[in-house]
Amino acid sequence: MEQTAAFEDDRLKQALTLSLNGDAEAFADLVREHQGMVFSIAYHYLQDRSLAEDLAQEVFLELFQSIERIQSPAHLTYWLRKVTANRCIDQGRKKSRRREMALEEAPEPVTASAHTDPMLLDKLQQSLATLPEKQRLVVIMRFQEGLGPAEIAEVLEMPVNTVKSTLHRSLADLRKGLTRKIREVRYAFF
Amino acid sequence: MHFSEDDLREALKRKDPGEGFTQRTLIRVNQARVNQAQSESKPVPAMPEKKSNGFFMSWLTHRPAWAMAVVGMLLLAFGIGGYQYSEYRHAEEMRIARANQQQLQQEAERARDQAIMALEIARAKMNHVLQHAQLQAEPNNKIRRERL
Repeated sequence: MEQTAAFEDDRLKQALTLSLNGDAEAFADLVREHQGMVFSIAYHYLQDRSLAEDLAQEVFLELFQSIERIQSPAHLTYWLRKVTANRCIDQGRKKSRRREMALEEAPEPVTASAHTDPMLLDKLQQSLATLPEKQRLVVIMRFQEGLGPAEIAEVLEMPVNTVKSTLHRSLADLRKGLTRKIREVRYAFF
Repeated sequence: MHFSEDDLREALKRKDPGEGFTQRTLIRVNQARVNQAQSESKPVPAMPEKKSNGFFMSWLTHRPAWAMAVVGMLLLAFGIGGYQYSEYRHAEEMRIARANQQQLQQEAERARDQAIMALEIARAKMNHVLQHAQLQAEPNNKIRRERL
């Protein structure tokens, strides 16, 4: 397992060096490696597939333009998360200026694993879309990227204690929102 | 309703951007690279000739202190000129008034002289009439005295 990680790290390091020298295939390798992460952060934040794809492409374009500043694969991951988060906030503000997002149109149906309730996941995504921007990003970084509070604090440039309290508040808000939604559904049916 | 952190992880599972995302991204990157190369190779367009705002305006923008001084001088000159002109107008009015008064005085003197002359003529006439009247009365007096 460790050997595989080390091999992967070496491969990315090599791709980074080659990209710096203008190798298009190496850059494509970097994009392929990180596109899931960048796209998913954008998608979970914006809840809009085409906007998320557009944003992810812009992030990779920015990476191409400032690749000489990237020092290592770990730095690349950190840089991509940070830039994506910042762009998400900007894009979210633009989007909210254009129109308020209706909850009903926000999420796409999620593909659930066998042991999870697809309706619950759907409602969770809907509730996530209603959280304020920083809270939403903290939740995404924690549960999508699996980052700890210190790492989230670094990426989002927030104090660690603020991250912890934000995370706590976000989970409480999500629970509250979810309960409200379930109640609405019950009223609609019965 | 309760949900676990695993549910949240499941809801926020990484998603695949779909077929062709890498290709579309690389096309966009290449396009940006081409655009950048074109903009670098393109000769820098000459600055469009700025429409002149006139000598005074350009001077005003480049030498604001001097411009302010000139404006101040002009204001001072206008002030002094205006004061001088009002003084001149006042003196002229006074001169005209004095001339009118003088003319009236001359006319009055002429009228007085004429009146004096008229009185003199009247007195001479009266004396003449009186003399004639005395001469006619004198023989009658002599006869009356003789009769007495």
